[in-house]
Amino acid sequence: MNKILMLIVVLFPIFSGVLIPMLPFRGRRAMCIFIEGCALAESALVFFLLQNPPAETLTVFRFTGNLSITFRVDGMGALFAGMASFLWPLALLYSFEYMKHEHSEKSFFLFYLITYGITLGIALAENILTMYFFFEMLSMATLPLIMHTRTREAFLASRSYLYYMLGGAAFAFIGMIFILTYGTTSSFVPGGVLDTVKIGDKGNLLLLVYVLCFCGFSVKTAVFPFSSWLPKAGVAPTPVTALLHAVAVVNTGAFAAMRVTYYSFGTDLLRGTWAQNVVMALVVITIVYGCSRALKETHLKRRLAWSTVSNLSYILFGVVIMTPLGLVGGMSHMLFHSFMKICSFFCAGAVIYKTGRNYVYELDGLGRKMPKVFVTFTVSSLALMGVPGLCGFVSKWNLCRAAVDSENPLAYAGVAALMVSALLTAIYMLTMMIRAFFPGRDFDYGKLSEAKDPNWLMLLPLAVFVAVMFCFGLRSGPVIRFLQEITGVVRF
Amino acid sequence: MDFVRNFPFISIILSLFSGPLSSILSGKWAKRINTAVIAVIGVMSACVLAYVAGTGEEFIYYMGHFPAPWGNEIRVGELEAFMAVFFCIIMLLCMLGGMKERLTQIEESKQNLYYIMVNLLLCSLLALIYTNDLFTAYVFVEINTISACGLIMIRQNGRTFEAAIRYMIMSLLGSGLLLLGLCFLYSVTGHLLMSNIQQQVRLLTAMGEYHIPLMVALCLMSVGLAIKSALYPFHSWLPDAYGYSTVSSAAILSSLVSKGYIFLLIKIFYRVIGFDIICESKVIHVLYVFGIMGMIMGSVSAIREDNIRRMIAYSSVAQVGYIYMGLGLGTEAGVVASIYHVLSHAATKSLLFVAASGLTDASGGSVRFKDLRGAGYRHKLAGIAFMVGSLSMVGLPMFSGFISKLLFSQEAVGHTHKMLPTLIALAVSTVLNAVYFMKTVISIYMPPGEEVELAESRNIAMREQPGKSVALVCFIILNLIMGLNSEPIIHLIETGLGMFR
Amino acid sequence: MNPWILLSVALPSVAGILLLAVSFGEYIRGSEKAFTRGVQVYTAAALALSASVSLYTAWQGEKECSLFEWLDGILVYFRIDALGRLMVTAVSIAWLLIGFYSLAYMGHEGKETRYFGFYLLLYGILTGLSFSGNLVTMYFFYELMTLVSMPLVLHSGSREAVMAALKYLFYSMCGAYCGLFGMVFLYRYCHTLDFTAGGALNLAAVQGHEGILLTAVFVMILGFGAKAGMLPLHSWLPAAHPVAPSPASALLSGTIVKFGALAVIRTVYYVVGPGFLRGTWVQYVWMVLALLTVFMGSLLAYREPVLKKRLAYSTVSQVSYILFGISLLVPDAVEGALLHMVVHAFVKCGLFLTAGVFIYRFGYTRVDRLGGLGRKMPVTLWCYTVFALALTGIPPTGGFVSKWYLAEGALQSGIPVFSWLGPVVLLVSALLTAGYLFPVTIKGFFPGEEKDPGNGAKEEPSPLMLIPLMVLAALALLLGIMPNPLIRYISQITLEVFS
Repeated sequence: MNKILMLIVVLFPIFSGVLIPMLPFRGRRAMCIFIEGCALAESALVFFLLQNPPAETLTVFRFTGNLSITFRVDGMGALFAGMASFLWPLALLYSFEYMKHEHSEKSFFLFYLITYGITLGIALAENILTMYFFFEMLSMATLPLIMHTRTREAFLASRSYLYYMLGGAAFAFIGMIFILTYGTTSSFVPGGVLDTVKIGDKGNLLLLVYVLCFCGFSVKTAVFPFSSWLPKAGVAPTPVTALLHAVAVVNTGAFAAMRVTYYSFGTDLLRGTWAQNVVMALVVITIVYGCSRALKETHLKRRLAWSTVSNLSYILFGVVIMTPLGLVGGMSHMLFHSFMKICSFFCAGAVIYKTGRNYVYELDGLGRKMPKVFVTFTVSSLALMGVPGLCGFVSKWNLCRAAVDSENPLAYAGVAALMVSALLTAIYMLTMMIRAFFPGRDFDYGKLSEAKDPNWLMLLPLAVFVAVMFCFGLRSGPVIRFLQEITGVVRF
Repeated sequence: MDFVRNFPFISIILSLFSGPLSSILSGKWAKRINTAVIAVIGVMSACVLAYVAGTGEEFIYYMGHFPAPWGNEIRVGELEAFMAVFFCIIMLLCMLGGMKERLTQIEESKQNLYYIMVNLLLCSLLALIYTNDLFTAYVFVEINTISACGLIMIRQNGRTFEAAIRYMIMSLLGSGLLLLGLCFLYSVTGHLLMSNIQQQVRLLTAMGEYHIPLMVALCLMSVGLAIKSALYPFHSWLPDAYGYSTVSSAAILSSLVSKGYIFLLIKIFYRVIGFDIICESKVIHVLYVFGIMGMIMGSVSAIREDNIRRMIAYSSVAQVGYIYMGLGLGTEAGVVASIYHVLSHAATKSLLFVAASGLTDASGGSVRFKDLRGAGYRHKLAGIAFMVGSLSMVGLPMFSGFISKLLFSQEAVGHTHKMLPTLIALAVSTVLNAVYFMKTVISIYMPPGEEVELAESRNIAMREQPGKSVALVCFIILNLIMGLNSEPIIHLIETGLGMFR
Repeated sequence: MNPWILLSVALPSVAGILLLAVSFGEYIRGSEKAFTRGVQVYTAAALALSASVSLYTAWQGEKECSLFEWLDGILVYFRIDALGRLMVTAVSIAWLLIGFYSLAYMGHEGKETRYFGFYLLLYGILTGLSFSGNLVTMYFFYELMTLVSMPLVLHSGSREAVMAALKYLFYSMCGAYCGLFGMVFLYRYCHTLDFTAGGALNLAAVQGHEGILLTAVFVMILGFGAKAGMLPLHSWLPAAHPVAPSPASALLSGTIVKFGALAVIRTVYYVVGPGFLRGTWVQYVWMVLALLTVFMGSLLAYREPVLKKRLAYSTVSQVSYILFGISLLVPDAVEGALLHMVVHAFVKCGLFLTAGVFIYRFGYTRVDRLGGLGRKMPVTLWCYTVFALALTGIPPTGGFVSKWYLAEGALQSGIPVFSWLGPVVLLVSALLTAGYLFPVTIKGFFPGEEKDPGNGAKEEPSPLMLIPLMVLAALALLLGIMPNPLIRYISQITLEVFS
């Protein structure tokens, strides 16, 4: 029974999404209730599944030979699935309000739900082919969401999005083929599946393929020099930018990188090689690069997007340290960053929704008119900066700790990069907050008479996120131990 | 059941004679006859396939019961029969999908001629597939060229004349080289029948004699067929020929005609020279390099195109490059991948041509991207079909293109020297494919810019063009089948190739 | 688990947050009410109560309190030790005095509710910072200190105040992140991050990684030094002080910068251990930086016409005395440093409060306008003179004692060059200090011919402002006349650390 549940969990949102344009809803309210109901039911299913994880795998379908679409629940997948199913209903709640001022809602919600299913597919993937399959599907399913506004900007953004995604997948494909040929199995096995006997003297080739594959998957995580699609994709409606381009889609890239590094190639073969140095250098560069671009950017959402670029590379930094601690750090940042960044984006979205202001220099004085939003925004900024007491610090600590433990000089540089990035984050986030709260002594608040806090649909998710940020920030022990349990499985 | 053994011959004859028959009938009847003939041949080939699969071994059909070297032989294995079935299906769907365009773009008086050409083409394709005699193959190559020229030029405007002449010149050059190679072989071995030549070639190689003439012959034949199937440096005839002819012609030319030559080349490799000898020669590396170049350069040219039809045409150059790259790998599995790609590309490319014609219909006949914006909403089915085709070309899982990509790269990984270039070329070419196909897909789903006169473009419902709709749906299904259920097909190709030996 | 420690942190914090909530409500509504008597009483009561609770807690003896596991394996942990006790005592005295002064002073700056909210909250945080029992807990309060003290700098809300506050924030953040960078390495190479007198370095693990560990410690010193105004991250001080309200400057200069020094002491003496650094390049570079800052700060102060900015540069210079003392890694110098920490806390508070009086009364910010004040406000100016004497290091003030110890420590240290260069630089800087502080006194009492002596009426500030000044001046003198109890107390600390 539980086995089938895995398939149901993946398919249910897709089908309910497809139903949206077909069902005759009486009014918008009914549609929203239906969608939220589906999402909640789905999340309940997911949590039930994670509570009672089935022991065996479920093979849905075979391509050829040993290439099959197979699902399984393991620790890492459970974390990712749990995260997605926690965030999705909240994000939907927010979008009901936000999408009021956008057109063609039905197609939006259709693809939003489909993406939910596909994300879960990635989380539950048992082998590399399944992951690749859903990885590609995800690129396609989110495309209409980026195109949603149908402006020229959206057109260009979706184009570059697709180029990057499919290009990345093409290189990831090389890695997949390599695993299929030189691995003992295509499944994800902690510690890697490569058969050293088969590889023989092709060690360097293996490393090259790893670098290509890592870069390919990391295109979704917007690693330098493949990061420019992410800020461009900010033309999509905010719920998309927030949930997909700060959390779900981009995290799948990191998730895939984790899977490939720890479960397919195996860190034993990679640690200390030039390949590790190359990918780590890329990641470290991205950490600083993203922040610097964020600093230069004046468009609110794009600034946050650049910040995402940098923060995603924190996750990847944890991954490329290639120790269990590194994986713990990476996963904790994946988890915490999701909350921090979705919260920041939702705040930015609320500002855009309520005032139509898109640029940082237009935020003057809004702190007084939208206090709830801006207090939340400030909290999430502080969390992103890594102020202790909020969750950002915990993951940063774990990452740094892992980096220092690995005794790799480049990782030390990475720690320095993290610090530089934290400082830059402080600068680009807090200048916005200061602007909003302290616009100058003789600021005329009369200009802002129209701005006020949004209604509960938007505020509820924000409140939840703030609570989560504090909880994790003050009491991270249980989470970290859970992550250690997951990674404890990984053989090193 | 032995009656089935006659079917291959009957189908060749049937298509050959239905041509002249069409010429005396009215256009409408010619069309019906043509459709019927293709369908019947398809069914007959299916029977043959079932028969061969049942017996598990090939059979040789002696025409007039004369054994070689006097008689002419037809040799039928699993792969040949399957190819015949597949070609018939594609051709039927292409004809169906391009029906409306044929009616509007071709002069009333020339309608009959078109069906004659198609019948001849089918006949020559079947002959190329089945024949066991090199000279017969050459003859039908020529017939094929002539009928293809007719198909290009029948839509009468300046560009098609130019294209047809260019095609004619290049093709004749190709067949001339083929003939030359054939003569060499004949003078060295004294045979024209494939199996006999192979015996002699083996003997000669074993003795170490006539090495250079044999290689020259091999080169000549390879280059000849490469020209005809538009391998990269010899592709200049292709974009015009595919880009300006009527839809069904373009679809048939790209998906069947060039593939017929490739199939012939594979046959020559296996049945005339012997695959192990080929693998040892340098020819294979040359093909490999040209294939890789084609993969990249074809796509680069396609990116630069502003005309959707020519873009798809250039994409064919790239896809042919894939096929030759697979042959160039010099392994059995590489050839399997190539044949799979022949099938997959045939199914996808014709789908793209037909879908593109649907999109241009909805945009006032313009083929430029600027005018195509929003066409996906105006002609919904064509939009979806074009997307499916594009995704298959890019190699998204679920579609046929993914499987061939998978096969190619899985095979390449085993190689020592060719592994990395192949993998990188595949990846780069995927990126390039994505660039131009996805650009098109996105632009057909974007609302039109202000500069387009909306009066010209109109919405087209599915019911308006039943033929095209049916064809598109069938193509999509075919693509999905090949993408999701590839294992039996691959198995069939493998056993078929096994019978070649 | 000791509830008193928690209470001493929580009480002022909660009291402050309550005030802030009120203030935020008013801010949203856009109707800022006047600072009513009731709120004034509340503030004063909260301040007095929390100060007494803190002091009581501090002098209870060695107490510790661990809360919960914050990071994996790291607890939120408080412990009262001699150093923390010293800090809390100094801070509490300064806080009470500045607090009462502010009650009078802030009337002309406005937004008192917000000011006192942050003021109380900051007190709680500083208490927590002093009581922190491990590096991570300390870091937590350290960051909070930066965030909460920033609104005090931008209090006026003017453009330049905001810019100065941001500068302060970013310099401090930069420093904090440098500290964090080093902390991570210490976590790896130390047995524990809990403060252990004399350090807890895991020598076995360090083997072969000395280079990176030294770098990490150096980065930490630089980072925490930013708060203490050490080169190269010193320039926030002269930017932030002139725009902040005077009491806020007083507590920035008087107390908060000391916590930078405290963090350095905690790192060097309680986690890494002085033995590891002695004789390494880190010590030398550190000494060079500290001495450079001492000299350069004085020089810049000497050239600066704006009084508060001059005092800010003076802080830069004086706090680096402390850092120099710490960097010598010998007991006497550390004793001197700790003494100077206390003395300078009181003295610099006093100086800024005096500058505040000038601004409050006359609106004068530049030194050259301050002529002839001796007649108008003799008490204030006498207090100022005592502070100036103390800062210069002229007996019988506290400054003399601390500088004596610093110089003695330097001479004893036996480090080549620095053992004599240090005292020389200190001496030169003391001369400069005299040069930039005494003109105010001289002009105040002897305005010369051209100055209009005015009508001679007394214009002393209200007692609420005057009494804190007098108390601080008395303290500065007291520390000079009877330094022995304090010295004995401090020698306990050094004994512990160097044993």
